[in-house]
Amino acid sequence: MDTFIQLTLNGLTLGSVYALIALGYSLVYGILKLLNFAHGDVFMVGTFIGFGAIQLLGGTVNPIVPVWALLVLITLAAMAGCACLGVVIERFAYRPLRDAPRIAPLISALGVSFFIAYSMQLLFGAEPKNYDTFSLNGGALYTDGFDIGNVRVPMIRIITIVSAFVMMFFLWLLVTRTRVGKAMRATSHDREAAAMMGIDIDKVIVFAFVLGSALAGAAGVLFALRIPTFATIGFLIGLKGFTAAVIGGIGSIPGAMAGGLVLGFAESYAQGYISTRWSDLLVFVLLILFLVFRPQGIFGKADIRKV
Amino acid sequence: MKRRGMSVIAAVAVVASAFASTAGAGSTTAAKTQAVSCKGTLKIGFTAPFTGGAGFLGNEQLSWAKYAVKTLAPKYGLKIRLITGDTPVEQGPAIAQTIAQKFIADKTVVAVLGPSTSGNVAASSDAFFAAGLAHISPSATRTSLTKGATRAATPAFFRVVPGDYIQGPSDANFMIKKGAKNVVLFDFQEPYSEGLSDAAQIVLKAKGVTTTRLSVANTVTDFSSFVTKVPSSADFVFFPTQKPGDAQNIAQQLLEQGKKAKVFGGDGSNDASQFKVPGSFVSNFAPDISGFAYNKAVIAGWKKDNPGEALGSFGPPAYLSVQVALNAIKKACDVGKGSIKDRRDVVRNVKKIVVKNSILGGDFRFSTKSNDPLNAKFYIFEIQSNGSYKLVG
Repeated sequence: MDTFIQLTLNGLTLGSVYALIALGYSLVYGILKLLNFAHGDVFMVGTFIGFGAIQLLGGTVNPIVPVWALLVLITLAAMAGCACLGVVIERFAYRPLRDAPRIAPLISALGVSFFIAYSMQLLFGAEPKNYDTFSLNGGALYTDGFDIGNVRVPMIRIITIVSAFVMMFFLWLLVTRTRVGKAMRATSHDREAAAMMGIDIDKVIVFAFVLGSALAGAAGVLFALRIPTFATIGFLIGLKGFTAAVIGGIGSIPGAMAGGLVLGFAESYAQGYISTRWSDLLVFVLLILFLVFRPQGIFGKADIRKV
Repeated sequence: MKRRGMSVIAAVAVVASAFASTAGAGSTTAAKTQAVSCKGTLKIGFTAPFTGGAGFLGNEQLSWAKYAVKTLAPKYGLKIRLITGDTPVEQGPAIAQTIAQKFIADKTVVAVLGPSTSGNVAASSDAFFAAGLAHISPSATRTSLTKGATRAATPAFFRVVPGDYIQGPSDANFMIKKGAKNVVLFDFQEPYSEGLSDAAQIVLKAKGVTTTRLSVANTVTDFSSFVTKVPSSADFVFFPTQKPGDAQNIAQQLLEQGKKAKVFGGDGSNDASQFKVPGSFVSNFAPDISGFAYNKAVIAGWKKDNPGEALGSFGPPAYLSVQVALNAIKKACDVGKGSIKDRRDVVRNVKKIVVKNSILGGDFRFSTKSNDPLNAKFYIFEIQSNGSYKLVG
């Protein structure tokens, strides 16, 4: 039972990060019908901004601000930096191709992905960047927390999971309860009709990129709190975020959240109960199974075309 | 039409491969026959990871290699220039082959330091051998490079540090000495960690220690679920990674899940700036060289050239490798009466080199049975609460 609880906790931690990444894929796909393959690299940039912000705040051994402020500030810095990066990517890599055949922005997305990853490697080196959160308060983030049975739920996991769910809740409020959210839903439903109703489509698209990229930045920091990051980490993590979006139903916000969690649990249970050797393989087999048997994902609707 | 097209493609392929083989033979012949004057500047190539997860290792080695060239080459009457080739571990062995060809093509390269990692030795040793280039590694420890029926390296490969056939059993015996009853061994599905884990596991099992083997793809970044599989009764997690950041990561995650097992990293995780969870262990092929009084001047000189840098374990073997290479080059120059007529003359002399009072302690010489050092051993360090490494075995 303890193993099950621990694996569930592992899956929840990983899944909540995947969910934040998947939301970025879904927001952009929902509005532009574009698979933004550079999204994983925006996540990576978020991890690097967080690392840089920690150094600016004095490092983890002797930070110049309290621990809670350090965590909030590095997350906000990553969200702001990634939001700006999202705007730049949309403006220069996707907007000029908005009316081009759908393959063109897809190729552009791959190009942007490699450009960002290798530019970061050139600028900051290929060495892994470790936030060294273990040094914050003498390792208290790892040793403090509460227990479920014999399983420790450490503070660092609580911070990751709670922060991710709070952000997802606010995103849900924004999309369902605000005017801009309504504009996003209208644009997603029918872009031309929304334009005729007076919605500024360009602004809505830019807003979707801002929102998705900011979430990727936050996901980057939450991920890198526990795990060292490096310039090419975005590809695989981004691919998993994309898988989560497909499993949940790409374009669906609740779907992205559910898909992220499903993927996190699947990866964790596969490693725990099936094989540590084949866990990535099993995750991508899950993607293939969904694409073959339920391409619309858990929450998506089948695309019915009238002839 | 289709058949004619296929015939044309086949003919082009045959002609192309004929050209390719001629070109290859030409360059090898050139390497053998063009004499290089020892009065001019000779080059030593150095191939190691200078960037990436193992970049710390290559940079430390480079600082010592530069210092050795600067201080030792004039003593042998040689003008040596060190040229480098970066092989980040993340890029796999293909890059090592490219760099090997670059060194081979330069007729003034008369010896090579490295490759620093075992995978890259296996990938490039054939090419170096064909070109007659001695390659002396300061850190490649995989057993199968020099031993066994199917050796991965050629007779032109030498190493100044002992292989995993010593490291694995040394680590295992240390864990047993510390009272280990239950050990979890990781491997990263690549030859370095698989070989090392295999070697340690054999000794542990033979001494009645319960072992569990976990295999992890080296793309995995979060070890949480693997840590979950570590039994609460485990005393050690043997974690032979080439990325010290990963050793730090798993040590943190063991603490996070309340597991008491200590992490035991191999030589690849020996980096005090990245792996610093107190109570963990690392092994290394080099001791703390400051323990040998005759090294005092060398250490002081190196520190003067590298202000603020800490004395690590990967650098001194690079110094020794340069020393061996310079000795062999000097002997080849003497044989050729002021020139190296064939780069193989350097290879022939490496094996004969004896270094009195070597930087690693005692006299250094190669074994007569293999191109490994004679009587070498591994050293074990424990990470202290201030993050420093203390020699404990």
